[in-house]
Amino acid sequence: MDFFVDSFLSSLILIRTVDPALLNIVYVSLKVSLLSTLIAGAVGIPFGFVVAVTEFAGKRAVITLLNTLLALPTVVIGLFVYMFISRRGIFGVFDLLYTQKAMIIGQVILIVPVVTTFTITAISRIDTRYRRTAMTLGADRIQTAMVILREARFGIVASVVAAFGRVISEVGISMMLGGNAKGFTRTMTTAMALEYDKGEFVLAVALGIILMSISLVMNILLNYFQGRTAV
Amino acid sequence: MLYSARNLKKTYNGRTVLDIPELSIEKEKIYALLGPNGSGKTTLLHILSFILTPSTGALFYNDKPVQFLEKALQLLRKEVVLVDQHPILFSTSVHKNVEFGLKMRDIAKKDRRRITEESLDLVGMRDFEWAAAAHLSGGETQRVAIARALACRPKVILFDEPTASVDVENQIAIENIIQSIHRERKISVIVCTHNMLQASKLAEETLFLFEGRPTSSIYENIFGGKVIMKGGRSYCAIDDKFLIPVKTDQTGFIKISIHPKSIKFASSPKNDASSVFYDGRISQLSEEKGWIRILVNIGIPLSVFMKKKEFDLFGTGIGQNVTVKCSDYGVEIIGSETMPG
Repeated sequence: MDFFVDSFLSSLILIRTVDPALLNIVYVSLKVSLLSTLIAGAVGIPFGFVVAVTEFAGKRAVITLLNTLLALPTVVIGLFVYMFISRRGIFGVFDLLYTQKAMIIGQVILIVPVVTTFTITAISRIDTRYRRTAMTLGADRIQTAMVILREARFGIVASVVAAFGRVISEVGISMMLGGNAKGFTRTMTTAMALEYDKGEFVLAVALGIILMSISLVMNILLNYFQGRTAV
Repeated sequence: MLYSARNLKKTYNGRTVLDIPELSIEKEKIYALLGPNGSGKTTLLHILSFILTPSTGALFYNDKPVQFLEKALQLLRKEVVLVDQHPILFSTSVHKNVEFGLKMRDIAKKDRRRITEESLDLVGMRDFEWAAAAHLSGGETQRVAIARALACRPKVILFDEPTASVDVENQIAIENIIQSIHRERKISVIVCTHNMLQASKLAEETLFLFEGRPTSSIYENIFGGKVIMKGGRSYCAIDDKFLIPVKTDQTGFIKISIHPKSIKFASSPKNDASSVFYDGRISQLSEEKGWIRILVNIGIPLSVFMKKKEFDLFGTGIGQNVTVKCSDYGVEIIGSETMPG
């Protein structure tokens, strides 16, 4: 019990003293995760919208594939992307391995299916009368699409928050493609794994607390946003 | 002509839901589109509001053929607005809902404000301008939806069952709004309803639809039953209980309509070959331009339509027992499941 309390108290002191190494890890984590989420949102939201509102042959197959990709393990993505960007891979010339860019590529692959499937679900639940109403009031296709997206905003924002939660807490991709290089690609999760290996729990627990706090703040922001825009 | 159509058809998965050989609708009039549920009224309304494309046929708007291409339809939609049966408001304020169509028409902000306020005034919803649309009742929602349509300054407004989901107070208010927008703004109105009373109250012209096809009058007292022979006469047996005389050589199941004017009250039941008598109880009465509509419950609800003078002769009222006479000349076969045998 003393071990747990000591680690917890020391980690709180570490957070309070704003340790530069800790700050850098948090910064890298947030930067990589936010960029991944932004790119995945830019790809996944329009893709999910198109899949939801259009009828085409193989639509069910696409949705089934996306649902399957939701369960894709991070180590599989890490391995897959590694094969492409390692020196022997076809994108080896770009020298991406063990960079933040590599981590972002892997994380985008991880969460595009999350954003897309959540968006499909959110759009599909929107009453068809919204589309008809926008059209009869004179909206063109893009304006009608914006109306539908606006009505589905809670579901779409939830998908982005869920995607961010997925990438900030993943370890496989960051470790395999980032390499856990101190000051460059070391994220909260890879640092925690390393500290655990070393038997040093203070930094690991401090990062765990920050990770949980970020998750809490994201959910508070989501709730605030939903409450504000409910009118 | 505001609208005219030739051989207009709409099919879904091989099933024809609308089949109109010819249709003419004049400008600046109120038309009622009458028919039972599933008669294709809403489908026709959606085609007339240019949000649904017919499977085949030609539609003319202002005597010009309608090109069912998105660009062309978008332009036409600026003149024609549909108000849904259960209108949906965008999840924002009442003001922003009413303003929506004006934004789509690139109206300046100052004018948008004025038109929005005017439109809300017209439907008596000005006090709710900044209320959340989600918090309105069914009747209020319907009125805001009308204001939203009116704000677009359309030449035609199409109402799909405008009073289907509102209370009596709002029903009267909505009917008055429809009449006043037609009278004051010269807007052509097409109201789709299954309420005969509302149609006669509002409309100058009436179109009847039944099973997707235009008919000369609305079918009422629609029942389905099996054709049986009894004493050399044919009857439609409804629920194996009620025998309605019918002139047919068909067998199997048929769908019949008993014309409400053909059903008479009888003081001394005397069965003859072409008529049957049923005892029932009057459950509803209403007046329609000198005629009385009587709902008689004989075990199944039967709508009877008779001149006020004729009705007064019987000195009867709601809750009273009456005997009604159904004759085969008033029974029309409107559908069957088997071919004539």
